[in-house]
Amino acid sequence: MTSTKTVFEAEETAVTEPGRGATGRRGPWWLYAVLGAGLVLMVVPFLWMVLSSVKPEGEVMSVPPTWWPETVTTDNYEALFTRLDFPTYFLNSILVALAVTAGNVMFGSMLGYALAKLAFPGKRLVFGLVLFTLMIPGVVTFVPLFVLTTNLGLTNTLPGMFLPFLAAPFGVFLMRQFILGLPDELIHAARVDGAGELRIFFSVIMPLCGPAMATLGILTFLGSWNNFLWPLVVAQTEDKYTLPVALALYSVGQNATQYGLLLAGAVVVVIPVVAVFLALQRYIMQGIAMTGIK
Amino acid sequence: MRRSTTTAVRALALLAAASLALTGCGREADAGGDGPGQGEAISDGPATGTIDVWAMGTEGEMLGDFVKAFQEENPDAEVKVTAVPWEAAHDKLANAIAAGETPDVSLIGTTWMGEFAEAGGLEPTPEGLVDEGDFFEGAWNSTVVGGTSYGVPWYVETRVLYYRKDLAEKAGWSEAPQNWEELKQFATDLQKKAGLEYGINLQPGQTGSWQSMLPFAWSNGASVTNDDGTEYTIDSPEMTEALEYYKSFIDEGISGPTRILDPGELESGFAKSTFGAFISGPWHAGLVEDAGVSQDEYALAPLPGKDSAPGTSFVGGGDLAVFSDSDNKESAWKLVKWLAEPEVQQDFYNAVGDLPAVKESWESGKLADDPQLQVFGEQLENTMSPPAVPTWEQVAAEIDADIEKAVKGAMPVDEAVSHMQSQAESIGTGL
Amino acid sequence: MSTRASRHVDPTRRQQAVAAWVLAVPFMALFLVFTAGPVLASLGMSFTDIRSADMRTPFAVSFVGLENYAKLLGDPLFQKVVVNTGLYVVLGVPLTMAMALAVAVGLNRITVLRGIFRVGYYLPVVTSIVAVSVVWKFLLREEGGLVNTMLAWVGIDGPAWLDSTTLALPSLVVMAAWRNLGTLMVIFLAGLQTIPEEVREAAEVDGAGAWQRFRHITLPMLRPTLLFGAVITGIGYLQFFEEAFVMTKGGPLDATRSVTFFTYDQFSFGNYGLAAAASYLLFLAVVALTVVQFKLFGEKD
Repeated sequence: MTSTKTVFEAEETAVTEPGRGATGRRGPWWLYAVLGAGLVLMVVPFLWMVLSSVKPEGEVMSVPPTWWPETVTTDNYEALFTRLDFPTYFLNSILVALAVTAGNVMFGSMLGYALAKLAFPGKRLVFGLVLFTLMIPGVVTFVPLFVLTTNLGLTNTLPGMFLPFLAAPFGVFLMRQFILGLPDELIHAARVDGAGELRIFFSVIMPLCGPAMATLGILTFLGSWNNFLWPLVVAQTEDKYTLPVALALYSVGQNATQYGLLLAGAVVVVIPVVAVFLALQRYIMQGIAMTGIK
Repeated sequence: MRRSTTTAVRALALLAAASLALTGCGREADAGGDGPGQGEAISDGPATGTIDVWAMGTEGEMLGDFVKAFQEENPDAEVKVTAVPWEAAHDKLANAIAAGETPDVSLIGTTWMGEFAEAGGLEPTPEGLVDEGDFFEGAWNSTVVGGTSYGVPWYVETRVLYYRKDLAEKAGWSEAPQNWEELKQFATDLQKKAGLEYGINLQPGQTGSWQSMLPFAWSNGASVTNDDGTEYTIDSPEMTEALEYYKSFIDEGISGPTRILDPGELESGFAKSTFGAFISGPWHAGLVEDAGVSQDEYALAPLPGKDSAPGTSFVGGGDLAVFSDSDNKESAWKLVKWLAEPEVQQDFYNAVGDLPAVKESWESGKLADDPQLQVFGEQLENTMSPPAVPTWEQVAAEIDADIEKAVKGAMPVDEAVSHMQSQAESIGTGL
Repeated sequence: MSTRASRHVDPTRRQQAVAAWVLAVPFMALFLVFTAGPVLASLGMSFTDIRSADMRTPFAVSFVGLENYAKLLGDPLFQKVVVNTGLYVVLGVPLTMAMALAVAVGLNRITVLRGIFRVGYYLPVVTSIVAVSVVWKFLLREEGGLVNTMLAWVGIDGPAWLDSTTLALPSLVVMAAWRNLGTLMVIFLAGLQTIPEEVREAAEVDGAGAWQRFRHITLPMLRPTLLFGAVITGIGYLQFFEEAFVMTKGGPLDATRSVTFFTYDQFSFGNYGLAAAASYLLFLAVVALTVVQFKLFGEKD
């Protein structure tokens, strides 16, 4: 058994990444070779996207595709930045994505913890509902959800864009599964020390959920950031458009697509996502060093 | 925004749709194909109040500045334009109509008219607003759903033959083919004499191939529905013959490949002499020039007819419609009427490049002089639009699938054609 | 699920229940407002002949009972897309899970440049599907494609991958596995952090080899995360759509058309009742698959 003291030690040492320091292993060379070869396969389309966004329209879609641009042009980016009111669209996107991410991480961990570690009446029902909702294809509820949103007076508002997605079953399920993997002893010890149930959640469990919350944050941010159809339908005026909606304005026509514009837009859209990933990815690797337990 | 009690009622009704399963209210028996008749004529005075307009892509971007002239003529009216991406514009309109949260006016793709009109989302065109005869016939017909017109054509596009003029000359053709027999010979010569991989590219089935195949059928006298659009008439010897003819290009290796082309492959192939010809709309001129084909190297021609008569092509484009949830209908129609004036249509062509739907606009200016544009103008005299029925997209998908089966030999041509008919019948017109 | 305390009045237990409901309230409130209604409405729609044209008068439609469901089950195209979807799941889930787990375990072992590796393996998830489709179509081209060029080095005449009714579907599965691997990898990496380093070290001291440690420590301790990954991936493949949409448009001859593709078409045709019915049939399949996965990965009760 352990005491709360070790629990807080766990919190402090959580940032040390496993494998580093203690043993100093770098991992075998062949692992780097295999992972490195795989890495090449993973990044090629991304690099092609970036390189092609500076090609003139005729070259972008030449078949077979070219790798390095024969002519480098910033036309595609200029077309986007001069025609679109970027600050507005970026702000709308970021506000919606942050709200959705914060909501999912918060509400997901709360209910996820309850489902993983607490005994309460109705638990099976609630978990069943979460799974049930997870499995319903979004396309089927789209129209009724929009009619509902209209009647709540939320069309053409940012809340209309994020409220329906603030608590998604994905986050609850992810957090529940992660928290299930945490040792029960932590909670028992805190209870023995007289901590209240909610305090245990906020002071003991939350600090240990860094990896899962970072993961959920990355995945939710990406999903919300790239969401296209919902913000398009909810927005009634251009000043409420999100970035992906605005970027689609001129690249896809009635009959033809301007791929140069489309790829430049894709690069613009991806930058914040990569930034969020870079910022959060190190928390994914927070090991839980539970010295003293068992 | 505009929230009326009717939308609230409608939405509650929808959310309670589960209870429908128990109560079973049922559909009212439809009185038949006759529409409600045209709307009442609008007054003569200037437009007033706010007019919200949705327009897609470039049209939406340009329209805001363009309507300043309208606002000068109607100082009490304010036109607010919202640009909507073409991608998913259909879904946005469908949802807006379902929830009663529409603008006053919107650009509507010609093939969506049937669905939105049947949904009760669109107002019938007021009596005497415009003269039907001023528009290209095929374009006007795209607004007519069940005998009633629900809007006004704004701009059009039609499909013509694009071919490599330089290579055609090398193959002994100084002029474009005039009939089916010549078209076949033309494509064969491009392939054999000019050394191209494929003489022509005809889409071998899959999404949108009906737009390539049906013009051949129309040119042969076949039709998709009867004149009043109440019954499908796909299964006919003329349709079978047209599909046989279409398929023969692929069977004989003159058209290929049998897979769908990658984006850009058609234009690249046209530039690199993989394909000698193809059939497409006005937007392709820019695309092939981007791909490196100079204006001297290619030419356009109207579609050849089967024999001596000119060929019939597909007409698409955009219509302008006023929504039944609009609270400023009179002024909205005045804006629509203004946009359909011949000079305004010409100005809009100059600003955006969309081809005018009004015939008179083609009689002067660049539209009358430019040889490329004249080909489109000539073709527009002989066009058909697909039937404006709510189920058209679904019927079209069946036709696409059966074209693929026939072309790839998975189904005999006559069977494919009768399969199109039986599928279309089971889907119905939705009116 | 845990039944360690007695059923009688137990202050800890009551406190737990109160705390649990406090924690559950935000989710449940949002669920009741934004999910319950639309789900019920869509379920109701699946028993009617509602079309998009009826959305303004949703009561003026006919109750058709199970007709939509019967119509779907009797439709040869629907039967075909069901088989295709089954293949997507059977081929895709194990492939994606295995690849993602291998990468996650690998990345968890290395210490140099790990940030770059993590971002790199995640990039396909964020790459524009248009760019992905262009590059993959190029890889899979019959003539001059990279895959067939490499096959030619070893004397194999590569086929037209995407134009073949038998090979197109497996090709799309490989592409989907490649595309979705990053998401699962991140989830597995997070799951691997719940395994205390001490446990692994202890096993090493005891002389357990790498495979044995993986088999007897990593896998069992990762079970909740694996279950999550399996369920999410299973749902993903049952709702397979995007890859087929951009690569083959469901062809050739419907060989890559999936249930979701079919449903999506029915929605865009405006057949809301039929599309809703198709969605709920798919939902039943997801439930069945999830039950199997819960059994397979043994939720410890």
